[in-house]
Amino acid sequence: MDDKIRRIYVPMTESGFYILFCLQTPQHGYGVSRQVKELTGGAVVIGAGTMYGTLSKMEADGLICFYREEEKRKLYQLTELGREVLAAEIGRIERLYKNSKGERCDA
Amino acid sequence: MRKTFIRFFTIADYEEEEAWLREQHQSGWRLVGLTPPCFYVFEACEPQDVVYRLDFKNAKPSGEYLQLARDFGWEYFMSSMGWLFFRKPTDAAMEPDEDELFSDNASRADMAASIVRTRLVPIAIIFLCCVLPNLFNAVSGRLGAFGWIFTRLFGAIFLIDVYLIVHCGIKLKRIRDRYRW
Repeated sequence: MDDKIRRIYVPMTESGFYILFCLQTPQHGYGVSRQVKELTGGAVVIGAGTMYGTLSKMEADGLICFYREEEKRKLYQLTELGREVLAAEIGRIERLYKNSKGERCDA
Repeated sequence: MRKTFIRFFTIADYEEEEAWLREQHQSGWRLVGLTPPCFYVFEACEPQDVVYRLDFKNAKPSGEYLQLARDFGWEYFMSSMGWLFFRKPTDAAMEPDEDELFSDNASRADMAASIVRTRLVPIAIIFLCCVLPNLFNAVSGRLGAFGWIFTRLFGAIFLIDVYLIVHCGIKLKRIRDRYRW
């Protein structure tokens, strides 16, 4: 992961995180938004414009790639770089979580 | 039945434009066409609460985006000068945020920034390149006996351009700052 990707995506927006997280399984944008709604009990809603903008940007930056087309809908999945970025972000969130509970983190 | 409304919105007034189009639909007029810069064509319809949203893409919308928008319940019905027009009827089952194309502040700020980058800055450069040399020619008297007419004409165009560019620049920056900290 180069510095540019790290600067843009770690930390990333909440929508960005959920989109990347859900694309561990290949699916299309609307599928991601439904899964996010379900996972978060409706607390995180991603709009069509935000979804499309984020998918385009992540595809251009090589975090996700085209998987296949299904009834005019484009399915995406994580790339190796996408997995790396997601892992870095999850590590950061774990640290936040532990620290917020008063625990210390080693390195 | 159709009617044409004359109303001018700058590239920084899209939130006002959305609200105005919604009001029109509530009073039984749905938008069917727009001739830039300011002629809005409406068609009579059943009064209904329909949310209007604009996205600025500065390009033909991709089939992928339109399909995605359809999946989210949006009707894409026209584009004009790089703006995509979407609408969606509100109903009781609609959850909060479902009436927005952009659901987080980062993407709202990105849209304002992209309007500045791909529309406002090019327009500013083109207008100043066209109008400034003409204004200088007119002022320096190179346009002959009626030079004063051109001086006033280009002077007026120049002032209007500068006003619009500054107005849009400040307003878009405010929109961006509202969504960014």
